[in-house]
Amino acid sequence: MVGAFIIMTATDAASPLLERVARGDSKSFEDLYDRYSPMLYAVLLRILGKPEDAQEVLQETFVKVWTNATLFDKARGSEAAWLISIARSRGIDRLRSRRVRTDRENEAGREITSNGPISPGPSGLESAVQSETRDAVRSALSELPDAQRVALELAYFEGLSQSEIAARLGEPLGTVKTRMQLGMKKLRERLRVMR
Amino acid sequence: MTHDELEGIAALDALGAATVEEQTAFFSHFEDCEYCHEIADDYAEAASYIALQLQPVAPPSGLRSRILSAVEHGEDTIDGAITTLTTQRRMRVRPWWLATAATLFLALWGWREIGIRVLRERSISQNAEIARLEEENAMLKSQRDKVAADLGAITNANTRVFSLAGQRVSPAASAKVFLVAAEHRAIIVFSNLPANPSDRSYQLWIIRADKPKPDSGPVFDVTPAGSATLSVDKLPVGTELKGLAVTLEPRGGVPQSTNGTFYVLGKV
Repeated sequence: MVGAFIIMTATDAASPLLERVARGDSKSFEDLYDRYSPMLYAVLLRILGKPEDAQEVLQETFVKVWTNATLFDKARGSEAAWLISIARSRGIDRLRSRRVRTDRENEAGREITSNGPISPGPSGLESAVQSETRDAVRSALSELPDAQRVALELAYFEGLSQSEIAARLGEPLGTVKTRMQLGMKKLRERLRVMR
Repeated sequence: MTHDELEGIAALDALGAATVEEQTAFFSHFEDCEYCHEIADDYAEAASYIALQLQPVAPPSGLRSRILSAVEHGEDTIDGAITTLTTQRRMRVRPWWLATAATLFLALWGWREIGIRVLRERSISQNAEIARLEEENAMLKSQRDKVAADLGAITNANTRVFSLAGQRVSPAASAKVFLVAAEHRAIIVFSNLPANPSDRSYQLWIIRADKPKPDSGPVFDVTPAGSATLSVDKLPVGTELKGLAVTLEPRGGVPQSTNGTFYVLGKV
């Protein structure tokens, strides 16, 4: 893999939960849920805004994971990236189909608070690793020019096309495309260095 | 298309922002290029980093138990759980579903009620028709029994047969009398009598040897062809019975003949 890097790192690589889930191990599925559901729920809340939508899609996501775990290929990417891609894809699909974009930012908020007990949640070590990863990602994103970061987030969390982002930002389409490509390239390089 | 250009498309595609044309160009090259496979995987991984900046949020604890419980009961149950959840939620957030469902239910209920009412009316009508047919059937059965009895009498070896002849006012008329002595009855078959007016009936007279005046018998009408069949009971069958005659009398009959004009007449 060119410049291969793995998110979630030690926990991820040392405990290929998805491989055991693919063999029908329900205990590993529980561990997988405990480890990743807070992260995936946060992503879905950010995309969908409404908790009930996010919970519904989170449930769909884990069912899909349970039934499609055999499709995971650790040689192509990390467990977390695979799970995030499924949740994000289903979240964007839901967002587009229901067109629940209004008030999303207000409801999601910039700082989302927990609405329920995390039980049992990631272990202490896993939490520490996740927190470290999160800080590194925030740092990497903060190093991007605002224009590039905003364009990436609009595409990633709102599922907007290039032309929709250009219209939203009032910028030429070519400019937006270049910003997105540069932003992704820098993010990839920055995180590769971080590894 | 150069690899730099393809890499740019891979970056956009990882965000879900590549256009259809860009995706087509990339994936037509992608299948045969290991380098582009790795680039695409790298950018997909990098895109997921954007999600990792978010502070994790605990989902409701009930969701965990629901999903895990569903998994324990198998894949189908999981789908069922989702369907239920989805249905409940859709009903909760979209009240128009309730209105639509209620309208549909009322329409179906109304349609069913109308159907039941129609069936009930049809049933009542059919029951009335059945009663009418049963009555008709009983009548036909009675007629059949009578015809059978008459035939039995006519064909009995002990039955006496004699004729009544047409008279001056009706020379073509005639009648055949089948006298069943054992039963004191006779069956009389009339032919070619003139059609009787609506206010008058034919009346049979029983001429007796032991009485100066004939006994009045039953009245009858004839068909347009001039025929009729009469069954007469309680006839004197010994030497008292001398003959039979028919006159035209006021409708309903009279105790004594009002005229001496016979239409058919015959001796026993």
